Amino acid sequence: MSQDNGLSEKLRRLVETVDAASLLTEPLTSSIHELLKVSAMEVGAREASVLVRDGTTGDLRFLAATGAAAPQLMKMKVPAGKGIAGFVISSGQPMAVADVDEEASFYAEVDKATGFSTEMLLATPLSYHGEVIGVLEYVNRPGEPPHQPFTPEEMDKAALFGEAIASLVNAYESAKIFRELGEKVVGGSDEDFELDSIREWLEGVRSSAEHREMMDLAILIREVASRGENERALCREILGSVLKYSKSRDETNYLGL
Amino acid sequence: MTSSSDTIVQPADAAGRINIDPRWREATGRGVTVAIVDSGIDTSHPDLDGKIISSVEARLEDRRVVFEPSSAGDSAGHGTACAGIVAQIAPDVEIHSIKVLGAGGIGDGQAFLAALEYAINCRYRVINLSLGTTKPQFFSPLHDLLDRAYQAGCVVVAAANNLPQPSFPSIFSSSLIAVTKSSTTDPFDFGFNFGEVIELTAPGVNVRTAWPNGGYRNLTGNSFACPHVSGVIARLLEYHPEFTPFQVKTALYSIAKENQFAKGLERPAIG
Repeated sequence: MSQDNGLSEKLRRLVETVDAASLLTEPLTSSIHELLKVSAMEVGAREASVLVRDGTTGDLRFLAATGAAAPQLMKMKVPAGKGIAGFVISSGQPMAVADVDEEASFYAEVDKATGFSTEMLLATPLSYHGEVIGVLEYVNRPGEPPHQPFTPEEMDKAALFGEAIASLVNAYESAKIFRELGEKVVGGSDEDFELDSIREWLEGVRSSAEHREMMDLAILIREVASRGENERALCREILGSVLKYSKSRDETNYLGL
Repeated sequence: MTSSSDTIVQPADAAGRINIDPRWREATGRGVTVAIVDSGIDTSHPDLDGKIISSVEARLEDRRVVFEPSSAGDSAGHGTACAGIVAQIAPDVEIHSIKVLGAGGIGDGQAFLAALEYAINCRYRVINLSLGTTKPQFFSPLHDLLDRAYQAGCVVVAAANNLPQPSFPSIFSSSLIAVTKSSTTDPFDFGFNFGEVIELTAPGVNVRTAWPNGGYRNLTGNSFACPHVSGVIARLLEYHPEFTPFQVKTALYSIAKENQFAKGLERPAIG
């Protein structure tokens, strides 16, 4: 009986976490979308979109997009390493292309599916704590042609908007991981409890920027600790001070983790 | 030295000042090897016909990255664009493609490090890195590799990323040549900002260059400024194969100062 109570308590907490995560993802996607619209105006682009890594395959998927083609884009994937977005996420280098429509390419495939015509493109990486987690793209100019190519100044502006959008994308992806776990455990069918499915979810957690960052920190601490007692004492003291400083700052950790 | 004395200008005079053979401006990069570490190269592009001497691709084998001959071409277009720019400036250069982007199953950073080591082991004279990483865990290994390149006489040219986060290896200004874009269109009109982290500026705005499937694109980005400098270095090395990376950088500094002086921006440094 006490075991049942323990389980139901755990499930209740899990449901709360999942609901909190679900509540978080919606305003985050709305914020990303709003920021895309505002930044597109500032950069002088007609449309904007965000692509993120899709699992561990290296493929990219659209997380948010503006414009009439957005619903179709959200269903599409960019195969690993393909096209300008594939290059930008792998290389971390922003770039602009003035004449995308000159020949058949990946963008021709996207255009065929969406009915949109990609003429010019500006793509900049979305980085969170050193990890490239996605790509921010601006497409075409508003108004009648002829259109001027994107300028270096507009690339700089895009990079600044990318900073803000990357934080939101990272928060969204973290919240989404919790939501997906909850959906698997609480709302899922028996099939969802298959080992493969859980393993896939764990892969997702482990490949997230935040998790890798924590692992890097753990490795660093282990290395320092292996140097000897003096190093361990110093490390403890420094980390204690950092924690004290951090707690003293007026910051809210929404998930309380 | 087996070359005839009338075609060789000594790299430095008795006072240690660098002498650059003025014929470098008409050079074509003959006999100079340039490695393009990127997304692969479309070797069938008319602008690159016969210029791509080898193409290899990263593959994971027993948790180690190995390089094998590749016929995969270029799925992203970027490597072809960079090779096209090098070939425009130094048409007789020998280009070697090292594909690391879009190579399935390998972490980008791991492939990038392995490719740089591969290029150093092959002793390619110029290594074009129009890519970088912001991951701090690659800081130290990249630093070590760049020192090895420097000691091996390989000139590494890297693109800055112009983003708020520092990008490696472009910020290692001592052991490589880091490049950012300018809007000038003359490939020889590059600038040198001594004291800045990214020292060189070269054309990188609306650069028309080769693109896969025989096409062309107008491209903007630091990654397209970088191969301009690689091409210029290939020209310099044709007449000065004995130049060390330090001397190449000094020569670039000297030429950039001449450029600035010609535009009346600044008097050249004396002595």
